Amino acid sequence: MLSHKALGLSTALRQAAFAPRTLRNNALLRNTIARRSVQTKTIPAGPAADAILNQQRIKRPSSPHFTIYQPQLTWIGSIANRVTGVGLSVLLYGFSIAYLVAPGTFDSTHVIEVVRDLPEAVKYAGKFILAAPFSFHAINGLRHLAWDTGHFLTVKGAYVTGYLVLGATAVSSVALTLIK
Amino acid sequence: MSTSLLVRSSLPRALAHRAALRSVAVQARANSTVSEHKYVAGGPIPKGGPNDAVTFPPPSPTHGSYHWVFERTLAAALVPLTAAAFVTSGTNYPILDGVLGLSLIAHSHIGFDQCIVDYLHPRKFPVLGPATTWALRGATLAATVGIFQFNTNDIGLTELIAKVWTA
Repeated sequence: MLSHKALGLSTALRQAAFAPRTLRNNALLRNTIARRSVQTKTIPAGPAADAILNQQRIKRPSSPHFTIYQPQLTWIGSIANRVTGVGLSVLLYGFSIAYLVAPGTFDSTHVIEVVRDLPEAVKYAGKFILAAPFSFHAINGLRHLAWDTGHFLTVKGAYVTGYLVLGATAVSSVALTLIK
Repeated sequence: MSTSLLVRSSLPRALAHRAALRSVAVQARANSTVSEHKYVAGGPIPKGGPNDAVTFPPPSPTHGSYHWVFERTLAAALVPLTAAAFVTSGTNYPILDGVLGLSLIAHSHIGFDQCIVDYLHPRKFPVLGPATTWALRGATLAATVGIFQFNTNDIGLTELIAKVWTA
C-alpha cells in the first residue's frame, strides 16, 4: 500500500477499492498496473550505490551559512588576522625563495634601486599596504596572546580589545608609513 | 479407519514440504552476502562510505599541547625580537638578524600548517591535504636556505627592510 502511495496511485486505488466487487479486480489491475506502473531496480549497498549517492550529493544545494552570517568584529577580526598573516608570509617566503633561485636579480642593490626609482605616491601607497597588515597582525596577535593567558575571554572583553586593536592599528600604520 | 484417514491426510506431507522449504531458505540466507554486514535490530549497517563515524587521530602531546605551547612561545618571542631588530641594524647584530629570520619562517610555517589543517584536512582531502603539507615543508626548507643565503651573502633581512623603507 505504501509503495503505491509513493507512486501516486492512492486515488486510483481508492476508486478501485470502493468499486463493486465484480469490477474490483479488473479495476485494481487496470488502474494500478497498466496506467501508472514504474519500473524499479534494486541496487545492493556497496560502491556502485555509493557512486550514485555521491553524484546526487554533489548536485544537492546546501543552505546558505557563511554567506548570510552577520558581519561581526569577532569573526571579521579573526579571518583578517589569518589573511594578513598569510599575506605577509607569502611575501617572506616569496622573497626568500626568489633570492635562492635567482640571487642576481633579487639581491639588495637591485631591489633598493627598483624601489628608489618609483614615484613618491607609489612609495607611500606601498609602505601603507605593507604597514597596515603588519600592524594589524602584530597587535591582534597580542590580543590572541592575552586570550591564551585567560584574559578578556568574554563578549565584552572581545569587543573592547577588538576596537582597541583597530584603533592602535590605524595609528601604527600611519606612523610606520610616515617614517622617512 | 482413523489411521488410514491420517495416512491419507495431506497434513504430514504438507509439514514435510514446509520443513524442506524452510531448510532451503535457511541455506540461501547463510550463503547470502548479508552476513558480511554487522547486524543491528532495525537492519544491517553497511560499513564504508560517507556514513561511517569520524576516526580520531591518536593522542600525541607533540602534536597537541607541546605544539600549542611552542606556537604561543614563538609568537610571544617575536615581539621583543622585532622591536630589538627595529632599533638596531642587521649589520651590527647579525645573530639577532638570523634568529629573527628563522623565527619568522617558523611562525609562518606553523600558520600555513594551521590553514592546511582547517581547509584541506587529509580526512576530507586524502590526496590534496598531504600533498599540500609536503609542499609546505619543501617551501619552508627552501625559504630557510634562501634567508640564510641572503643574510650571509647580502645585507640581511632587517637591513633590507630599513633601506627599502627609506629608499
